[in-house]
Amino acid sequence: MKRGTAITISLIVGILFAVFFIYPAGMIVKQAFEGLRADGSRTFTLDFVATVFRNPIYQEGLWNAFLVGIGSTLATLAIAFPLALIGHRYDFFAKPALGVLVLAPMILPPFVGAVGVKQMLGVNGAFNSLLIDLGMMSSMHPYDWLANGRFTGMVLMNALHLYPILYMNIAAALANLDPAMEQAAENLGCPPWKRFFRITLPLAMPGVFAGASIVFIWAFTELGVPLVFDFARIAPVQIFDGLKGLDKNPIPYALTAILLVVAAGVFALSKLVMGRSPLGTAPRPKGRSAALRIGGWKSAGCSLFFLTVFLIAAIPHLGVLLLSVTGRWYGTVLPDELTLRHYHEALGNSLVVPSIQNSLMYAGCATLLALVIGLCVAWVVVRSDLKSRGLLDSVVMLPLAVPGLVMAFGYLALSQEGKAFHFLVGADGSPFLLIVVAYAFRRMPYIVRSAVAGLQQSNPTLEEAAKSLGATSFRTLRRVSIPLIGANLAAGSILAFAFAMLEVSDSLILAQQAQHYPITKAIYTLLSTLGNGTELAAALGVWAMVFLSVAIMGAAILGGKRGGLFKV
Amino acid sequence: MESIRAQSIVKSFGDTRALDGISLEIEHGELFFLLGASGCGKTTLLRCIAGLETPTSGSIYFGEREVTKLPPHKREAAMVFQSYALWPHLTVGQNIAFGLEERKVPRPEIKQRVAEVLEMVQLSGFGERAIDQMSGGQQQRVSLARALVVRPKCLLLDEPLSNLDAQLRVEMRREIRRIVKENGLTGIYVTHDQEEALAMADRMAVLTRGQIGQIGTPEQIYRTPQSAYVAHFIGETNLLAGNAIGMSDGYVVVETAAGRLTGRTSDSNWSPVAGEAVQLSIRPEAWRLQDTEGDNALAGTIVERSYLGQRIQYWVETAAGRQQVVEMNPHLIHEPSAAKIVLHARHEDVVVLKP
Repeated sequence: MKRGTAITISLIVGILFAVFFIYPAGMIVKQAFEGLRADGSRTFTLDFVATVFRNPIYQEGLWNAFLVGIGSTLATLAIAFPLALIGHRYDFFAKPALGVLVLAPMILPPFVGAVGVKQMLGVNGAFNSLLIDLGMMSSMHPYDWLANGRFTGMVLMNALHLYPILYMNIAAALANLDPAMEQAAENLGCPPWKRFFRITLPLAMPGVFAGASIVFIWAFTELGVPLVFDFARIAPVQIFDGLKGLDKNPIPYALTAILLVVAAGVFALSKLVMGRSPLGTAPRPKGRSAALRIGGWKSAGCSLFFLTVFLIAAIPHLGVLLLSVTGRWYGTVLPDELTLRHYHEALGNSLVVPSIQNSLMYAGCATLLALVIGLCVAWVVVRSDLKSRGLLDSVVMLPLAVPGLVMAFGYLALSQEGKAFHFLVGADGSPFLLIVVAYAFRRMPYIVRSAVAGLQQSNPTLEEAAKSLGATSFRTLRRVSIPLIGANLAAGSILAFAFAMLEVSDSLILAQQAQHYPITKAIYTLLSTLGNGTELAAALGVWAMVFLSVAIMGAAILGGKRGGLFKV
Repeated sequence: MESIRAQSIVKSFGDTRALDGISLEIEHGELFFLLGASGCGKTTLLRCIAGLETPTSGSIYFGEREVTKLPPHKREAAMVFQSYALWPHLTVGQNIAFGLEERKVPRPEIKQRVAEVLEMVQLSGFGERAIDQMSGGQQQRVSLARALVVRPKCLLLDEPLSNLDAQLRVEMRREIRRIVKENGLTGIYVTHDQEEALAMADRMAVLTRGQIGQIGTPEQIYRTPQSAYVAHFIGETNLLAGNAIGMSDGYVVVETAAGRLTGRTSDSNWSPVAGEAVQLSIRPEAWRLQDTEGDNALAGTIVERSYLGQRIQYWVETAAGRQQVVEMNPHLIHEPSAAKIVLHARHEDVVVLKP
């Protein structure tokens, strides 16, 4: 590609990121350290951060967030690693179908799933009722599986929702290993289990770290789950609660800045670990390692393991589904009365239909925006010879390191009357542009990564051939590059779209008026509505699940056509 | 059909100079070969001509038109890639039609020309096939057809046969030469396979470290190499060190460690003065094994032999170093032994080079 075009794209993307990403994040950090003197001038201060660390309530909040983050990451790792390894090593009964099924938990925002989990595992939930019915538990002393519905529940929810991210990362890392590396060890007499610890695991570490850092940041700053579990002493909720007094209260800024620093630190650490990895300079693997075909009880065992993970991960979904068709459900295994009236009522509710429209608009436009920018970035990163292309690549990946909560908070503060982003707020207070921009920048990494992967895998001579046959750069992009990486782009876009539809932080914080609510905020609002609010929320949640399942299956089919995208 | 002229082309990648001031002229209708070891810059030169790289300095002309800064899609120089670069999302027919579509050729004509070119490469009826249903040799011919169908001003071939098996390679050599000649194309062909170059080229340039070692017809390059590098790169050769002692009948007499040899210089502008150090290049097939002493001969012993059916290869130890000797259709096979043997060469087969 032409150097001039590459420089122009880099500059535009750089400026966009500076304005819509670094500026809001920086603003929060600034606010957290900026005091007001008596005469009205501003000064640097550590008072607010110190206040946070001195106040036992905030201390506990941060500690809890950290524990939830660590706990969720470990639990996620415990689920994802065996899945990825078995999937990499063996070919067993119904592997393709099971491989897609274990990704299914992604189709439900974890805080909606939390409602389902409470219904299934709560003191008066389905599981306890089953045990009581079976005579394995006294109805007088039901056990509280979720330890008062809090910590364990939150960790469980996060892990069940987030393990697919780690699973895909580890699976991709394993798939990218040159099979010759393992074969060489085998050839030199290394037995399989030793080979795993000496060759496979060290080489897969970058993938493990990359995935684990994303999971940690996500769980560490998760807002929806603690809100639904009514767990107030955790930093994200404390920030959310502090939003009301935004103008005067510097504490939310200080808390957000601390979250940002921790998240960025973890991200930097994972980059550092990857940077040291010997894989950085290793040539791309020439062959694919063929999974070992196994049969009999071994195959059944593997299938059963995948199925079990799926079934456990589907508990929240099942709970939500049952809840949405429940007339009455208390202290029994299954609902006493089944009904479809919640779906009917949901359509009549003033929140539901507009929220679906809003979410489709927000997520659709955001995906389109992210796709255009992401494709340009990927093009520069892979096909240009700019020295700064590595920097550009790192910059667009930064949104993974910055918690959604931080960004949402920054956008909210900057969109106030008289602030820099106020122009993004529509005439009637519509947060349309604000949310689209916020969604787009947060989801950009998925699109950039998939486009970069696609371009790297497609041989540049395919593009050169088009040019030498008379196609302009633009025509080459349209007729050769995009069709070739179409599956990658589609998959990245669908992932970005699905995550945008399920987005919690931006949605809860930026949409202020009922007519502008996206689905997630509508569900959240319905949950706290008295009467049949929970069931209506469940019904809306089921709609969202159906919709996203279709979308992800579409991506799987597109990806499957070339290169087995979701097999990774 | 157009002549191509490159003038003092320099191409640097960072600190390395891939092309270091290359000038050459290729006449229209000529099949010209760029030959050299890997890393000599031959592919970079081809890509500069195609417009896929821009030279750091120097200029390229197609006919009278300067094209140095022209983007590749405006050059009408169709390229055949080493990896074929066939688009997997298009069928064979769609791949071939691509360039015509970009040139806005009307539909019916596209159809007709695709059919014609498929026939030319002997793939009639394969238009609907997917690329991955074609064998390596067929893919090679599709990529050739894709480049030919646009009737380019010149055809650039980047090691087009290197991914084929030996037999197919030999078949395709004749095929490509036939097509280029029948269509009157100017062709530039990059290869590291010297046999391919000798068999197909009208003229060729041997490149070494970003510079031109020698330009000439296959015969000129093989029979009168102007440097030890060229002599060594094209065909096998024996190199002997010696000192010139004088001229006789236009031939140079050279004293080597094993005796006196008489030969000719490859450069008509140069002849060594007496006492000047020179190098001799003698092809293995130029040596004849004799039992008796004679003119222009060295004595030695056979230390190794290897029988190759149509020919036999010997290694003969002499005072001037180990000599490789090839005998075609040998009627008598010598065994390695301590017995003295004599190597004889004709005067015109001994090439005297600057050291």
